[in-house]
Amino acid sequence: MILSRSPIFQLGVQSASPLAVIVGVYLLFAGHNNPGGGFAAGLVLGAVVILRTLAGLQKPTFGPALITGGTLLVVAVAAAPILWGDAMLDQKVVSFDLPLLGTVKTGSALPFDIGVTAIVVGLVIALLDGLSTSDSLVSKGNPA
Amino acid sequence: MVWLLLAAHIVGVAAAAVAGRRDIRAGLLVAAVAPALTTLVALVDLVSSSPARVSELSWVPALDLTFAFRTDALALMMTLLVSGIGTLVFVYAAGYFSPGAAGSSRFPASLLAFSASMLGLVWADSVWTLFIFWELTSITSFLLVGHKNADASVRTAARRALLITGGGGLVLLAGLLVLAGDIGSSLTGLTPVSGTSATVAATLILIGAATKSAQVPFHVWLPGAMAAPTPVSAYLHSATMVKAGVLLVAVLGPAFVGVATWQWLGLAFGATSILWGAIGALRHRDAKLILAWGTVSQLGLLITLLALGSGKAVFAAISLLFAHALFKAALFLVVGEIDIRTGTRDINELSGLARSMPVAFAVAAVAGASMAGVPPLLGFMAKEAAIEAVLGTTGAAGAVAAVAVIGGSILTVAYTVRFLVGVFGPFSRSTSSTTSSTTEPTEVAPMRPAMAAPAVLLGLAGLVGYAAAGTITDLVGPAAVELQADAAQYSLIRWPGLKTAFVVSMGIVASGSLLGVVLSRRTTAIPRPIGADTADATIDGVLAFAPRLTGHIQHGSLPVYLATMGATASLAALPFVFDLPTDHLVLWDHPLQGVLALAIVASAAAGVIVRSRLGAALTLGAVGIGVSALFVTHGAPDLALTQLLVETIIVVGFVLGLGHLSRRFPKKSGSWRAARLAMSLAGGLVVMVGLAAASAAPAGTAPVAELADSAVSEGGGKNVVNVILTDTRALDTLGEVVVLATVAVGILALARIRQLEAST
Repeated sequence: MILSRSPIFQLGVQSASPLAVIVGVYLLFAGHNNPGGGFAAGLVLGAVVILRTLAGLQKPTFGPALITGGTLLVVAVAAAPILWGDAMLDQKVVSFDLPLLGTVKTGSALPFDIGVTAIVVGLVIALLDGLSTSDSLVSKGNPA
Repeated sequence: MVWLLLAAHIVGVAAAAVAGRRDIRAGLLVAAVAPALTTLVALVDLVSSSPARVSELSWVPALDLTFAFRTDALALMMTLLVSGIGTLVFVYAAGYFSPGAAGSSRFPASLLAFSASMLGLVWADSVWTLFIFWELTSITSFLLVGHKNADASVRTAARRALLITGGGGLVLLAGLLVLAGDIGSSLTGLTPVSGTSATVAATLILIGAATKSAQVPFHVWLPGAMAAPTPVSAYLHSATMVKAGVLLVAVLGPAFVGVATWQWLGLAFGATSILWGAIGALRHRDAKLILAWGTVSQLGLLITLLALGSGKAVFAAISLLFAHALFKAALFLVVGEIDIRTGTRDINELSGLARSMPVAFAVAAVAGASMAGVPPLLGFMAKEAAIEAVLGTTGAAGAVAAVAVIGGSILTVAYTVRFLVGVFGPFSRSTSSTTSSTTEPTEVAPMRPAMAAPAVLLGLAGLVGYAAAGTITDLVGPAAVELQADAAQYSLIRWPGLKTAFVVSMGIVASGSLLGVVLSRRTTAIPRPIGADTADATIDGVLAFAPRLTGHIQHGSLPVYLATMGATASLAALPFVFDLPTDHLVLWDHPLQGVLALAIVASAAAGVIVRSRLGAALTLGAVGIGVSALFVTHGAPDLALTQLLVETIIVVGFVLGLGHLSRRFPKKSGSWRAARLAMSLAGGLVVMVGLAAASAAPAGTAPVAELADSAVSEGGGKNVVNVILTDTRALDTLGEVVVLATVAVGILALARIRQLEAST
């Protein structure tokens, strides 16, 4: 098959994935002022999952949880302002002081973006699930 | 308070579901709490004559989508019916199910959910709120009718009820849209409408109301709905849900006061239903079906009176609506008790129940007399008002209404007599000599107090209502005045004196009784359900046609799908070709773009030529990366980033998918290849020209400066693109991610199916 579990590939993915996760999380937070955003973050994190799966480091099992959680989060953020009488999806911006980081400004767009990220990662995992056969992904050794 | 009561119902639904899991009767008693509370609040409001409670929750203000509630006099009266009868029905249902009955979360929960939906419907003060709760009642009714879902005939009946009322709901929605376009969405202080749009709205809304209120020819679902447990039939299909259509006609009446279609179509539905419903009640042998057909007739009477629209007619309609809910619920509860205690509802098999079930007989006799309009009962006062109203109406409409109401009333008395004699009478009319037991009184199981008490209360209400005519007038009078100011001068009269209407109604009772006695001595065969058969055949036909049509459209050939979509898109984009201004076209803003374009074209060409599948995937990836580089040169880093990431994922997806396929593309015949080439070329050309035309002639200027300002001031972010996504146009994003989630769920489901197939 196309998947050779070469040690170089495995080690490379293993050492690169923490960095890639940091990049993904950075994109999620940076999106408000710089290029990035929930969708891009989701794609990066999704790519990490794909690579790790290909390398046989993990199984893509938490797709449904991400999709459900992300959708619930997005809908909750969208509906929450109605409870205190604002229009649906009304944005709340809060800023507060943190030690080390200084003044941090964030808003309800952040959980909304996190929800988007979760859905995108979930979608990528679902695609992985749908396109792969059980023998091509689950690492049961390497059938030559 | 409105919200608190609705919240109490929602909590109640959950509690009833939990309590009902082990013991269905415990679940029903838990479910009775919320309606009992609501009844209490309504009574307090009534006694203290407090002003209408108004509450509004704006959902999407820009689209005028609000949850608006208003408990005016009519809503308060309906609340008493919905929650008062509801409480009694919950108690009754706890007795209806035997102690050993299997636990069910669904039944008590959906019965209470129905109760909440109905309350929302009667409190609604906006057409959209009303519509949402209208549909909720259809759905909960479907769940309740289909309670015994192991039985195929029950499932058919539930499906028929859902499709007819649901289809009617769609027609109603169209009508409400037309109406709201004219006078807005509020339901109070309606201004009269006129013109073509008023006629269209009147027709559509009346059809929607007729499906819900079981008017001929949409009545066929109601007898079928008797497949539900009797508490459901008593509550939904006689006292409350079927009144939703009547209520709608009543509430919207002031808007359509000058529309001839409203009056004539309403009269047509009503008059036909009065007569055909009563005839149906005389044809059937099942006591529950007799009552169900009687409901069709009574609802027809209400619609007829509302269609007439005069003050007296509206007053009579509201009084009758109240009286009907009381006596019909009582009769249904009695029939359910008989069913449980004897095991049958067939009037040919029942005999001698007057002696063995005296309490039930007394209740049925009082409620039946109220239904027939015999003094001294509430039904008499209401019927008297109705007859006065139709006799007082001049012109063709009055004549039609008079014939239908008087004829229908005679038949009503007849089927009431036949019902009472058939169920409780000492003799059996069965001619089949094979069953010897038919001449003996039917065996009866012991009484269940939980079933008897609610029926007695509802039966007594007819008598008490007559005695307290003033109180009832205070209840229904203001409700009628809200709909028609002229109704203020009328009240319920205990003893009208020897007026024309009284003579007419005594004539009706006399001739109807005679007819009823004659008919009750005759054995009738079980009639064929003509209308219901037709409805079911239509539904089955559609269900059989759908897979064949789908098989033709969704044939599964990916190349043909692509070709179809490509051809459609090309045709749709064709008009752009003709308004392509050439003076705006520049070769490039920056020479780098030209270089990138060349690279993209080269990659694309390589993708066409290459024979290996992996190679094709990689060239496509190269095209995508080239495009994202183009985005960078155009100054759109966000777009470029997303494009780049998507391309990466797609290439990996290709690589994964290619594992299932051969390494090289199979050879294609010349003509098919030529067709695909032509299609691709046409598609590419059309997209190119379309994009060029669109960017050369933008519709207006983009509000760039405003968006950038509002991004910082309102969204609190400097990246305008992302602030648009998460704030300015967040509703679009919400829709898009929900689509993504749906797609993902679909993919996961497909993968799951394949795994299941592989494992078996």
